[in-house]
Amino acid sequence: MANMIGTPVKRKEDPRLLTGNGMFTDDMKLPGMLHAAFLRSPFAHAKIVRIDTETAKQYPGVIAVFTGADLIGKVKPVPTMWYVPGADLKAKDRSPLALEKVLYAGEAVAVVVAEDRYIARDALELISVDYEELPAVTHQEKALQEGAPLVHDDVPQNLALLWKAGEVPDEAFEQAEVVVRQRLYNQRVIPNPMETRAAVAQFNPGSGEMTIWCTSQNPHIHRMIYSGVLGIPESKLRIVAPDVGGGFGAKIATYTEEAVVGHAARELRRPVKWVEERREHFMATTHARDEVIEVELAGKKDGTFTALRVKNTANLGAYLSTFGGGCPTIDFGLMITGAYHIPQAAVVTYGVYTNTTPTDAYRGAGKPEATFQIERIVDLFARKVGMDPLEVRRKNLIPKESFPYTTAMGLLYDSGNYELTLEKALEAVDYEALRKEQEELRAQGKLIGIGFSTYVELCGFGPSKVAGAIGFQGGVWENSTVRVHPTGKVTVYTGTSPHGQGTATSFAQIVSDKLGVPIEDIELVHGDTQSISMGWGTYGSRTTAVGGAAVAIAADRVVAKAKRIAAHELEVATEDIDFAGGVFSVKGVPGREKTFQEIARSANFAWNLPDDVEPSLEAQSFFDPSNFVYPFGAHICVVEVDKDTGEVALRKYVAVDDVGKVINPLLAEGQVHGGVVQGIGQALWEGAVYSENGQLLSGTFMDYTMPKARFFPRVEWHFTETPSPVNPLGAKGIGETGTTAAPPAVVNAVMDALQPFGVDDLDMPLTPEKVWKAMQNRREGI
Amino acid sequence: MKIAYTHHFGLPLDAVWKGIQDEEVLKKAIPGCQAFSQVEENVYHAEMGISVGPVKGMFTGQVRQADQEEPFFYRLFVKGKGAPGEIDAVAEMKLEEEDTGVKLTCTAEVQVTGVLASVGQRVMGGVAKLVIGQFFKTAEKEMGQMFSHS
Repeated sequence: MANMIGTPVKRKEDPRLLTGNGMFTDDMKLPGMLHAAFLRSPFAHAKIVRIDTETAKQYPGVIAVFTGADLIGKVKPVPTMWYVPGADLKAKDRSPLALEKVLYAGEAVAVVVAEDRYIARDALELISVDYEELPAVTHQEKALQEGAPLVHDDVPQNLALLWKAGEVPDEAFEQAEVVVRQRLYNQRVIPNPMETRAAVAQFNPGSGEMTIWCTSQNPHIHRMIYSGVLGIPESKLRIVAPDVGGGFGAKIATYTEEAVVGHAARELRRPVKWVEERREHFMATTHARDEVIEVELAGKKDGTFTALRVKNTANLGAYLSTFGGGCPTIDFGLMITGAYHIPQAAVVTYGVYTNTTPTDAYRGAGKPEATFQIERIVDLFARKVGMDPLEVRRKNLIPKESFPYTTAMGLLYDSGNYELTLEKALEAVDYEALRKEQEELRAQGKLIGIGFSTYVELCGFGPSKVAGAIGFQGGVWENSTVRVHPTGKVTVYTGTSPHGQGTATSFAQIVSDKLGVPIEDIELVHGDTQSISMGWGTYGSRTTAVGGAAVAIAADRVVAKAKRIAAHELEVATEDIDFAGGVFSVKGVPGREKTFQEIARSANFAWNLPDDVEPSLEAQSFFDPSNFVYPFGAHICVVEVDKDTGEVALRKYVAVDDVGKVINPLLAEGQVHGGVVQGIGQALWEGAVYSENGQLLSGTFMDYTMPKARFFPRVEWHFTETPSPVNPLGAKGIGETGTTAAPPAVVNAVMDALQPFGVDDLDMPLTPEKVWKAMQNRREGI
Repeated sequence: MKIAYTHHFGLPLDAVWKGIQDEEVLKKAIPGCQAFSQVEENVYHAEMGISVGPVKGMFTGQVRQADQEEPFFYRLFVKGKGAPGEIDAVAEMKLEEEDTGVKLTCTAEVQVTGVLASVGQRVMGGVAKLVIGQFFKTAEKEMGQMFSHS
């Protein structure tokens, strides 16, 4: 059982999930349960003149209809939770249902609660709302212009925040040998987990206790916020995230619907369920990215970088979502220099309100955008100085001797060996042969392109004192209890909240190695605020690096206590006890031993314990890391562009990632695979489209291209292991590396393919139409 | 969204001009029309069922005729509201005499919201043409009957 860490163990979760025995929020059935449906605004910006709910209330099976006015004083507005410091943040709390105005298409204006979900939906059609349409603004740059419609009357210029970090004197650019400038657009994307959002609420009028089962990535954060919103003390509010079918960040945010469902259950004294429809999800759940990024890189003719200056104009949507303010500022801005040694750097972010769905974290949250701009500008720099993008990278990557490395933005990169991942990736694609082939094929009129992304990512949120300094309204330490039952079976509790990552398996591997207990004997409990005292959830690739570390430390404490009990029973000093493979033995005396299970029984029965040892065998750990962790890697994408249709075909994709110590290679590969295809999705197909007046035109899977398995070649992955010194596992984070690395690798590859046409940049997604037009324009130009 | 449609009527110009603005003709010709009544001069209340691809629902609204330049031009303002969203349209109707009758050109600017926009937008152009075509065909039939009776 030793060395489970690093072993490709199959997911413990799968037999249950694959045989239909999962328990998702929509599987919850409670006696007397009612069903809620939300009426949503058809306008992006309008005054609500009148709402008539009478006909809906009369409809057979309808129990209640609430509007915003009905909830005043009962459900408080939902606040944002990331008060970015020094940014003159103009936060706008969200009223649970719209009051005087609606600010984006899809904002909830009323809720129907009925005997079943079909009645609830039918009754929505009987609510009559008179709107007075107002001019809307959907683009962040237009929203900043003078005379633009104001989303919030008291936020001039729609400027929600203005944040700056770092400084670069103008001379650094004026006197530079080479300066490249590019305006990039990291388009708006819509996270689409398999399971949409859902909530079930139950209220006990006797005790005043409420339970909300919901699709959450961080139940304790939701408990903290909904407690204030609903006016129920945290001690009487239980949030449970049962099985959750993916989130990708969209289930971090605290939304209004779950609070409204909770209130309905309290008011009606019956359980209430709400399940978001996919069409609803497209408008009601947070979107992401949507940043106009203007980047300037200065350097020398020999390819050395000297200074970087970045301006980000970010579309925050109609409200500041839970962590919406942090993504384009802290998460993005501090990572702008990427994996390169750039002595000077500065960033400014304009966060802008528009009449669109609010944006928030999505797999990478700011880091994909940061990586995109630096990896793109590095390629453009290489073009300008006439060097291979590979050589420019080799010249500027932070060398392995420099770690720990302090960046121009003040971050301390924990550990790294960037060249190693790059060399391994080059080897995997046989770079020299590939360049030769590219040239030959070009001569035949075929367009092959090779794109690099040598990225670094900020993960493992993180030290709590840093969270405080950057205005994050919460801690980011983690909590674990390892509880050993009398038979030696183990229950592990974690404050992280996995929702598809396979953490029940990876954490069991950690505990199995520590305790010498088979992983079948180890169960993980997560996602329930009643079972777990506190925790901060799953996001920012923190589950293993922070939550897993807490598990490892708690398991070590269990072993320490068990050793004392074993020593007592074996009548030797604790120092004379060896523990390996689940067996306590006396050093140098073969055969004198006790199994872990025997000690578990002794500890729990407590018939014969040392005087200073308390009964039972369990330990807790609250782990707050000293720093973030910084996974890194090199991705190489090879594409072929069809000259006649503009279609981009993926020929090869190689990902070499270093995420520190890998706990389970199968899970790690799954994360890379999923992340890469999601990142390629943004590069080639995905994109939210709004009409001028704020209608979401890409509101279904007919119009929003969700990548399918058949779109992809086999992604090839390799790992190198550079342990992190920040946590006892040496682990970094892996969940977001793919979405961070892939988009620029793909775009760089396509731009490389289009080099004969002199095309330097195209906005994602690189649809055949866009690529074809770019080639066509150039042809016409000639 | 812009929609343009042309229909050729095999009827004299004054018959088309009168017929196309006649309450009875409109009531019968508007596809899915459930109710149509005059509210005041040139303003009508209408209820109609609309089906755009996967989007179906009843719409209640107002139709207003304005800016008449008899017998060659008028504007039609349509404002409708229903469960799938709201419709706000302005149509310019241009009539020209031809050898065989009348050519009517309808140029409309249509704004939609809600599900109609997010789901219906892509198929709306096609559906709109179908609906308008149906309207003119039925209207011509009705007008023909009216014309032969008068």
